[in-house]
Amino acid sequence: MGGLLASTLVYGLVSSATLLLTALGFSLTFGLSGVANFAHGGLYLLSGFTAWLLMTHLHLPFLAAAAATVVLVGLVGALVYRVVVMPVRGIHLAEVISTFAVGVAIIELFRWLGFTTYDYVLPVLVEDGIDVLGVTVDWQRLIIVAVALVLTLALWAFTHWTKIGLALRGMSQDEYTALSVGIESDWAAMLSLALGAGLSAVAAMVLFPLGIISINSGYDALLVALAVTVLGGLESTAGMIIGSLVLGFAVTLTGNYVGPRWGEVVYLGAIVVVLAVRPSGLLGKSKELEERV
Amino acid sequence: MRRSLAALLPALGMLLAAGPARAADNIVLGVPTALGTIEGQDSLRAAQLAVKEINEQGGVQVGAVKRKLEIVSIDTREAEAGVPVTDALAAMEKLITEKKPAAIVVGAFRSEVLVSAMDMIARVKIPYLCTIGMSPVFDDKVGAEYEKYKYNFRLSLSARYLVGNLGKTMSFLKTKYGFDKVYFLHQDVAWAKGTIGGLTKVMEGAGWKVLGSDPYPTGSRDFSASLTKAKAGGAQVVVPMFDMPESGVLVKQARSMKVPALVAGFISPAAPGTAWATFKGDIDGLVNFLFEPGAIPLPSARSRHFTEAYGKAYGEELKNRISGHGPGPSYDAVYVLAGAITRAGSLDADALVKEIEKTDMEGAVGRLIFTKTHSVPYGDDPKAGGASIAFQWRQGKRVVVFPEAIAEGNIELHAR
Repeated sequence: MGGLLASTLVYGLVSSATLLLTALGFSLTFGLSGVANFAHGGLYLLSGFTAWLLMTHLHLPFLAAAAATVVLVGLVGALVYRVVVMPVRGIHLAEVISTFAVGVAIIELFRWLGFTTYDYVLPVLVEDGIDVLGVTVDWQRLIIVAVALVLTLALWAFTHWTKIGLALRGMSQDEYTALSVGIESDWAAMLSLALGAGLSAVAAMVLFPLGIISINSGYDALLVALAVTVLGGLESTAGMIIGSLVLGFAVTLTGNYVGPRWGEVVYLGAIVVVLAVRPSGLLGKSKELEERV
Repeated sequence: MRRSLAALLPALGMLLAAGPARAADNIVLGVPTALGTIEGQDSLRAAQLAVKEINEQGGVQVGAVKRKLEIVSIDTREAEAGVPVTDALAAMEKLITEKKPAAIVVGAFRSEVLVSAMDMIARVKIPYLCTIGMSPVFDDKVGAEYEKYKYNFRLSLSARYLVGNLGKTMSFLKTKYGFDKVYFLHQDVAWAKGTIGGLTKVMEGAGWKVLGSDPYPTGSRDFSASLTKAKAGGAQVVVPMFDMPESGVLVKQARSMKVPALVAGFISPAAPGTAWATFKGDIDGLVNFLFEPGAIPLPSARSRHFTEAYGKAYGEELKNRISGHGPGPSYDAVYVLAGAITRAGSLDADALVKEIEKTDMEGAVGRLIFTKTHSVPYGDDPKAGGASIAFQWRQGKRVVVFPEAIAEGNIELHAR
């Protein structure tokens, strides 16, 4: 097959999986607890540098460093809830501002500490690549697609088939009713932030090996997560998947047929258009419900 | 209590008076640049090294007295995505207003900031010796309105000279290997756009077929669109032009997509001596430009002295990481200024401009002279001006392939 069309299909899928992975943690936290964790980008960057430090200074093999990073960053997520979000819980603007401040503080701390050189890399899991539809694609990108798929299915199973997952969903649907059946609100919200932070770490472990861990990737991760979740619908998992596919293929199509410089415009344009035309996102219901009430 | 406070007041007054008096003895040099970048940090270190060396000799002769140099810096953050030019200019103005430097060295990182900063310098009238910003508009402005912009000088490579050096390298590839198909990928910023625009004209004029030229926003991490087109079109040479950390992805992606082309241009993360370890050999065969000598010195005593002194002052690890753009000219800028101050016998800006124009000395980057538009000319002869260096990564070593006068070998296609 080869050619530009095949490249669009293959790299469109890779791009969609990349977006889905980047947004998964942010969307999960909001979907389960209603907390828009704007520290998401900072936690993503923290994950990359934590894994690098564990490998470089403690000489851990990559997989061990990655596993430790997911746990550590998950704990940081829980800590962010206890220290920063809990005191302002329920005041949405305060939640956004305080988590955003934490994210910026993490990112800028690394800049201040001098993590700006070109030395920070994580290894790919498998070297080399293969031909798919006549297009050469490296194994790491195929791993990204696989991880995105497996994680999405696993999360769906977790939130639908496990007691904790059902409790978290119950909390997200009606906090007071959930409280009345013994689900502790702060515990559930803290767990959702820890899970979201852990997912941002998983994303970092498979995405950073493509290049260098750079400071600005923290801000980019937040922008991507916002674009995907706003497009798909903040509380909808299916919407997030569709949002990732739409954005991923739109960016790749734009890059291949119009020019790579317009890819950024697609992200921002998607946010603006969706907010203007359908504020709840493609599959979101929040605004509709609000208007009905 | 009242009595003891009264007794302290004169002492406090003396201390306050003594502070500014001490500072006034030093000649203050301002360094407003992007200190979050490798180039900015290395350039500041290089300028501080020159200041240290000069101060160890007693300082700069100003008329009958010797005065020490002192550097004050401010982070303009101009290389960070989303930071507007106005913010960088505000930082520079803050430094000028509060610290009152006698001159500026290093200066703007982004060409967009440099071009705007020139107007501020025209207003405040102090010498500005920039060592990173590359836009050819700099020369156009000085040439068009000399009286207004005469305080601005550039010691680093400009996009115009880079085009010339790249053109010579491409000409070699055409003659030696019969290449005639090229694909350009570049960062969507002024210096890179200017360089690729100029190179396109030069190469098309020389019979090359340009298959594509794609600008990427700062921070881009996927280059598959261009690499697919380059591969499908049969490009023999891919020319990247990037100074962002994320361009490291391009090196890995070109390798993993098995693009059968020589990659020759500028990718900042692939320039330092530590890049081989960072990319684990994925850069084998890559031809990268060092805009100015420093990371790899010229075979002259002065150039070698800078690189060795940098290593002694900051350690071998930082020496091995010296970036390919900024440090060499930043070191030279302080010496150019010190020489001009000594010859002028004062810090008067107009007198200094006249003396800087007369500069003719050997520096870390080659011969330091200024054109009528106040730029050090860069070519392939370090005895005629500054010289950029191109090297090829071969099995963990940076082998110099340009200019011919100092080349250790020719470009090879072994890694394609």
